[in-house]
Order: sequence, then structure tokens, then C-alpha cells
Amino acid sequence: MCRFLTQRALQRVSLLLFFNLLLAGSFTWAKAQETPSIREVIAAAVIADSPAEQREIILSLKSRPSPEAISWLEKWREGSIFLYEEDGGPSSAVLLDGEADASGSFATIRLSDASPMLAADGSPIRINPKTVDFADTDSGLRRVMKEVTALAALADPSPEKRIRAIQDSSVGQKSEKLPALEALQAVEKNPKVIRVLGESIAIIRLKSRDRNERIAACRTLGEVKSLAAQDVIKSVLDDAMTAGDQETITAAKKAIAAINAHISAINAVGTVFRGLSLGSVLLVVAIGLAITFGLMGIINMAHGEFIAIGAYTTYIIQNVFAAGLKLSPFGISISIPGMNLESGANLYFAVALPASFIAAALVGLLLERSVIRFLYRRPLESLLATWGISLVLQQLFRLIFGASNVQVSSPDWLSGNWTVNDVVFGWNRVFVIGFAVMIIAATWLVLNKTSLGLLIRAVMQNRNMAACMGVRTERVNMMTFAFGCGLAGLAGAFLSQIGNVGPSLGQNYIVDAFMTVVVGGVGNILGTVISALGIGMADQSLQQYLGNPVIGKILVLGAIILFLQWRPAGIFVTRSRSLD
Amino acid sequence: MPTQPFTGRVQLPVLIIAAVFLVVVMPTLNAFGIIENFTLNLWGKYLCYGIMAISIDLLWGYTGLLCLGQALFFTLGGYMMGMHLMLMIGKLGQYKSDLPDFMVFLGHTEIPAFWQPFYSFPFAIAMVFLVPGLLAYIFGYLAFRSRIKGVYFSILTQALTYGMALLFFKNDLLMGGNNGFTDFRTLLGADLRTASTQRILYICTAVLMVAVVAGCKWLTNSRFGLIQRAIRDSENRVLFSGYATANFKLFIFVTSAMIAAFAGALYVPQVGIINPSEMTTEKSLEAVVWVALGGRGTLVGPVVGAISVNALKSWATRAYPDLWVLILGGTFVLIVMFMPKGLVGIPSQIQELITKIRRKTPQADPLPPAISSETADP
Repeated sequence: MCRFLTQRALQRVSLLLFFNLLLAGSFTWAKAQETPSIREVIAAAVIADSPAEQREIILSLKSRPSPEAISWLEKWREGSIFLYEEDGGPSSAVLLDGEADASGSFATIRLSDASPMLAADGSPIRINPKTVDFADTDSGLRRVMKEVTALAALADPSPEKRIRAIQDSSVGQKSEKLPALEALQAVEKNPKVIRVLGESIAIIRLKSRDRNERIAACRTLGEVKSLAAQDVIKSVLDDAMTAGDQETITAAKKAIAAINAHISAINAVGTVFRGLSLGSVLLVVAIGLAITFGLMGIINMAHGEFIAIGAYTTYIIQNVFAAGLKLSPFGISISIPGMNLESGANLYFAVALPASFIAAALVGLLLERSVIRFLYRRPLESLLATWGISLVLQQLFRLIFGASNVQVSSPDWLSGNWTVNDVVFGWNRVFVIGFAVMIIAATWLVLNKTSLGLLIRAVMQNRNMAACMGVRTERVNMMTFAFGCGLAGLAGAFLSQIGNVGPSLGQNYIVDAFMTVVVGGVGNILGTVISALGIGMADQSLQQYLGNPVIGKILVLGAIILFLQWRPAGIFVTRSRSLD
Repeated sequence: MPTQPFTGRVQLPVLIIAAVFLVVVMPTLNAFGIIENFTLNLWGKYLCYGIMAISIDLLWGYTGLLCLGQALFFTLGGYMMGMHLMLMIGKLGQYKSDLPDFMVFLGHTEIPAFWQPFYSFPFAIAMVFLVPGLLAYIFGYLAFRSRIKGVYFSILTQALTYGMALLFFKNDLLMGGNNGFTDFRTLLGADLRTASTQRILYICTAVLMVAVVAGCKWLTNSRFGLIQRAIRDSENRVLFSGYATANFKLFIFVTSAMIAAFAGALYVPQVGIINPSEMTTEKSLEAVVWVALGGRGTLVGPVVGAISVNALKSWATRAYPDLWVLILGGTFVLIVMFMPKGLVGIPSQIQELITKIRRKTPQADPLPPAISSETADP
């Protein structure tokens, strides 16, 4: 670690030295000073007399690329540096400080040394940004600023920023960017950055006058399978075609072929990955239904609303961990106090998971006791009654939480991604897959390794026989239904992390969930897993192939109907001698 | 489950009076200004819904097939009529073009080939029956052939409806996207915005409804109707007695799709708009609610249900906009649980209750020990 740091420091120093040498020619002004701070340089540039002088001063910053310079130049460009002219005295560059007062004026500090501007009597000078001129920029100045910024970004300590700067500098294939890149190439140690450097340099060299250099660049780009170079190589190919340059044509064609092969490989992997993650979403959404519908035979049209219960529970927990929540259903105002935890944003989900399971399971329990137990022998009626309940629940969500979507924040780490060989794996999709695996494992464990699971399976296989053996089937029904609803609640907590939470959240998934269970074969968890993944894959592949999500979805629905022609009872058939 | 169709000799005069009232009295009162145009138009809409409800009942109450795609057939019929009406707008549209406004908006310069024949009214009417009928035939053929029934049939029809709605929401289909069709002007040369045209449309709807009720009554009382109910109560026995149940079901499915489609075709000129949000599963389920509320397995029940729920809706969405859905959902749950025979079944339920109390049987459970065909005991 220590050695690494030292190396990195040396590298930086040598880079700085190089830039100093490289740009020594443009030192006319800076040399005269005793290495002024960057703030001072910028302040001097702002008040310089002519645009030419301003440009020269800014260019001097090329010798000392640093993030600080970038941020000041950025401020200048957006107009947050102001010019203050003291009575009869020289003007100086100032920044606004603190809050605006009643007249809209701000306190000011000097840009050059961050000291507050004071009037002769010692009181702070306040200016109104509406009446005072801000430091202006013209196109020539902005171009110079961009140059400095780009150079400074190349020397940024963070590899990601360096990579972005390198990629930016290859845009437009300007040969004057080459020396800086080549200098960096000589000292760079990070393999990712080296790869991008090679790519960018080759892209710029494609414009080179030297034919052999162009061919070499084509070869390099083909080898690294550069996606960015796709278009520029095509234009090289076109030029070579008109010139009839066989060797360049071969090299360019080869490179394009290599890049295209790479693209289709990326797309294939990406499609499989997206299919897996969509399948996982379906699986998580459908697993609760696989219990209530698959095992118990209840058509729970309110399944989607149980998902929404889970999502809203997550919303409440999130607010309890933060600043609290005010709700006003039916004109009654309820205020839930918040704990204002600082790390709440990343912690709350661990509490929200069990809470959403319990909330949904409790509502499920209530529903089973009050409505569903009367309808066990009438599945079509259970469909209608639960639809009525789903209407009621949706409206309740609207009344309690409002008709628009509520904001559920997901932990920061979910928004990042992981790029391997140009294939982007979003963390949220990885999370989706992981969550699905977890939930399936948990369901399998409950059904196969606990005594409740044993009772559930016994009752579902033969209710009368189980009752004869002394199983309290009523209670098992109740527990099973609550368990299924709890799983839907978990799905809701999960969906709140990857999508919007609103009153009709559940409606978006209900058709898909039923399809998944029907295709999988009723009463079979493994079937549900396979069908969810299959539907997810089919959907994503069709989407990739057709480039149209809606048509893809319609085709999947059509395919499901046709599939049920072939296997009316789904992938896994529960064999039975009874005739319904 | 009510096994007795609505065939009392006592009720027949009531039915005739109701029919005369709807077909003759209401429009007459409207012509003399006693009933407002708005009210008559509203009733025309209710009657269209009533016809759709009968088509659901034919499937669900009489054959035991709960179809969640009836709103799809209804809307498809409406769309076919809408295409004709759109073309009849002619140059009166916003863009003063022969093309329907939305096509101009999407940058088309010519009327697509599949729209051309809809200039002809008879063709449009034929399509009102053929398109939904064909869709029902294909779907029904596939579903019944592989003996998909009970809840699976419901779920599949739900998926079909969902898929079609997604399709109709697309602009590329050239069916108006999510705005659908609206701003109609004339039908067969008559201005749709005049009260007299609307009255004629109302009379057509009422007459059609009476005809549908009469036709369904004849059908359900015939030998065919007997087999139909037998399929509902025990499909396997019918199958083993040598009847091709799939063909019977297919026939009834296609018939009911066409009835719903025709109701939709009458609905569009009266309401003046049709868009894909009408063909969602929720709309189908809402129509199923009418049937359940009115009383399934009867022919009058669905109409009663459709009219009463929609009248309630018209009132409650204005009086209690927030609570309306709660009322609808709650009523529905209660009806499914405690009134399986619906509104028209209330007299017989009360009678049953009285006999029970007289016999002094301590059974207080109002639920009938119904064992239906779809009972699947694993």
C-alpha cells in the first residue's frame, strides 16, 4: 500500500514536471511572480485589461493542472465571480458570501485571498448581484478555459475522472491534444487508464497524415475493440475507398468487423443479464401468488395491492428513520415522528424488509378471516371478491398517501454499476437477482424444512385426510395465506427500490404475476422459478431483437397462450387421479 | 349458484311493461321535453352497458365461463364503428383534411388501405361483428381445444385484454393511440349532435336490448341452453355423454363477443369518444360486477345491475368522488359473499330465509351450500 502511494506520488510529480517543461514557452507573466496561488492567478485574469492578456494568464495555468483551477474557471463561466470597483480605486474580483439580506444584497469576499471586503470604516461591503457586473467571458476566453480544464482533468488523481478527460480529448480527433496524451501514456500506471489512453491516441491518429500511422491506429483500435472508434474508422474506410488504398481498406474493415463482433457479444451478454433481472422481478412478484393461488387455489386479485402495502410500509419506515411523516387521511391528520438518524438512508431498508413482510401478512390474515375463508369452494367468486378488495385498498392508498407517487430513496450503492469488458452490470439489477435468490431460498426453507411447511403441504395435498390426522386446517389456511401475502409485501419493499411507489403499483404487475404462475404449473414453486426466468429472457430478447418493448410484450403474451396449448397445465403438472 | 333461469309466468308482464317503457315511453317523454336530452343520452349509455352485461351473463351465468375480455370485444366493436365515424368527419376536422386529425398529426398524407373500406357503412357494421367474432373464435378455439377452463380461462382472457390494450395504446397501429377517436360529426348523414339523432340512437339501443333479451331467452330455453347449463354444472358428464363441449362453448363465446361488440358500436356514437382505456381488464371486471350485482344466471339481472351500478356511479362520482370506489368495492365484496343471487334474487332469498325460520332450523348461515362446477378439490 505504502509503496503504491509513493509510486503514485512520484508519478504525479513527474507529470507536473513534464507539463512545466512542455509549456515553458507560454510563461511570460507567471514567471515574474513568486508562484502565486491559483486563486490569485484567476483573480488577476478576471481584472486583466485586454482579452488577450486574460487568455495569456489563464494559459499559464496549463503548467499546474489541478481540480481547483477547474472549479474556479467553472464559476467564472457560470457568472458567479463579480467585479467590484472601489471608488476611484482599482476593480477587484469578488465572490458573494453568506445569505442575501432584505434588499437582495450579499456580503463579499475577495477572490484572490478569500478575505472579506471591508469599507473604510470597517463595515463589510455588500453588493447586489443584480446591479453589479459579473466577470464576463467571450468565446476566445472560453476556448482557452476549456483547454486548461481538459489538461487539468488529465492530471486528476481519480482514475475515473482521468479516463473521462482522456475520452473527451479524443473527441474531434485534434492532433494538438496528442502530446499531452502521449506524455500521460509514458507515466500512467493504472491499467484501465492505459487502455483508454491507447484507444484515444489511436482515435486521434486515425486523422494523421501519415498513411502507415493510420493503418497502425486501425489495427490498434480493432485489437482493443474500441466502441468509441466505430464511426471514425468508418470514415477512414470511406476515405480509403475513394482513394483506392487497399491496405488501409483491409485494416479498417478488419477493425470494424472486430468491433461489431464485440458489440454483438456485449448485447448478448447484456440481454441475458437483463432477462435474468427481469425474470427475477417477475419471480419475486409471483412467488407470493404461487403460494396463495398455486397452493391454495385462491385467485387473489388483490395480490398487487399487497405488494403496494409492502412498498408503502417501506416508505413509512424510511420517513421514520429520517424526518418523520405527516399523513391526513379522511381529514384526520396523523403525524409520525421521525428519528432523524444520520445513517438512516442506508440503514432503514434492513428494518423495512421485515416490517413490510409483517404488515402485508397481517392485512392478509385479516382478509382471510373476514372474506376468503367463506369462498374456498368457489374460486371464481374469490376472484371477484378479492377484486373488490383490491379496489378498496387502492382507494385507501390514494386517500392516505395521495394519488401521486411517493418518494422512496434507495441506498447510494444501488445506483452505481460495474463494467466488465464494456458490459454494464447495474448494481440495482444485480441486487434484483440477489434478492430473488434470497427470497426463493427462504420460501423453500419454510415449505420444506419447517413444521409449518409440512402442515401446509399436507393440507394442500389432501385437506380431508390432513384434517382426519388432527391438523387444524383452518389455521393452516390462515397461516398459508398470510405467508403468501407477506411474500407479496417483501416484493413491494423490493420494488420500491427499483421503481415508483404509487397507488396503482400492484396493478402493473398483476397480469404478469398470474401468467408466471400459470405457465409454471400451479402448485409448483420450481415451475414458477423456471417460468419467471423464461418469460424474462423471452421478453428481453424480443425487446433487443425488435427494438420495441410493447410489441415484445404482446408477443410474449401471445407465446404464453400458445404455450398453454401445448401444456395446458403449465411446465410442471401436478398429477392427480381426480377429475374436476 | 342460481340454477333456475328467469322464467316465471308472473314476471312476463313486468318485462313487457319495462320494455315498452324503455322503448316507447322514455323517448316520447323526451320528445315532449319532459325527460332531458342529457338523461336520455345517459340511459342510452346504460342500456349499452346492459347489453354488454347480458353478453357476460350468457357466458358466466349460463355457461360458467368467466371472461375478463368482454370490455375488449365491446371496445373493438366501438372502434370499428368509430373508424367509420372518423372518416365521415371528412374535411370538418381541425386540419381540414380528408384524413382523421390524428393521422395528419402523425404526418400521414394518405388514408391507409385498411381504413379505406370503412367509408361504407354496411362494411363497418359487418366488421363490428366480424373482427371481435374472429378474435373470439381464434382465442376460444385455442383455449377450449386444450380444455382451459375455470380460473385459467379468466386469467388468459385477462392477459389477452391486457395485450390488446397495450397494442391499441400504440400510435403505430394507426387507431388513434391513447387518445382514440373522438369529435364525430355525422352518422348516415344525420348530425350526431342533435337531440333527434340521439333519440333515434337511444331507440335503436333499447330495441336491440329487448331483442337481445328475447333472443337469449329463446336460446337459453332451447335444447342448446340446456346443454349450456349442463356444461356449467358438470362439463365432464356432458363430455362423456358424447357432446363436443368445446364446440358449444366456442359458439356461445363467439356469440357473446358479437353481442358485446354491437353494444360497443351503439355506445360510440352516443358517447362520442372511444379510446383504449375502455378495453382494460378493470372495465371487464366492472361489467362483471354489474352482472353479479344484478343476479347472474338470469337475463334481466345483468340489465338491472348495469343500470343500477352506473346510475349509482353517476351520482356518487359527483357527490362523493373520493369514496365512490370504496363504495363500489365494498358493495361488491358484500354481494359476492352474502347475495350470490344478486338483486333479482333478493325475493327468493328472503323467501328462503322465512321458510328456514318457520321450520325453526337453527342454521343462521345465509350462505347457500353452493357446490359449483368450478370447484376444484385437489
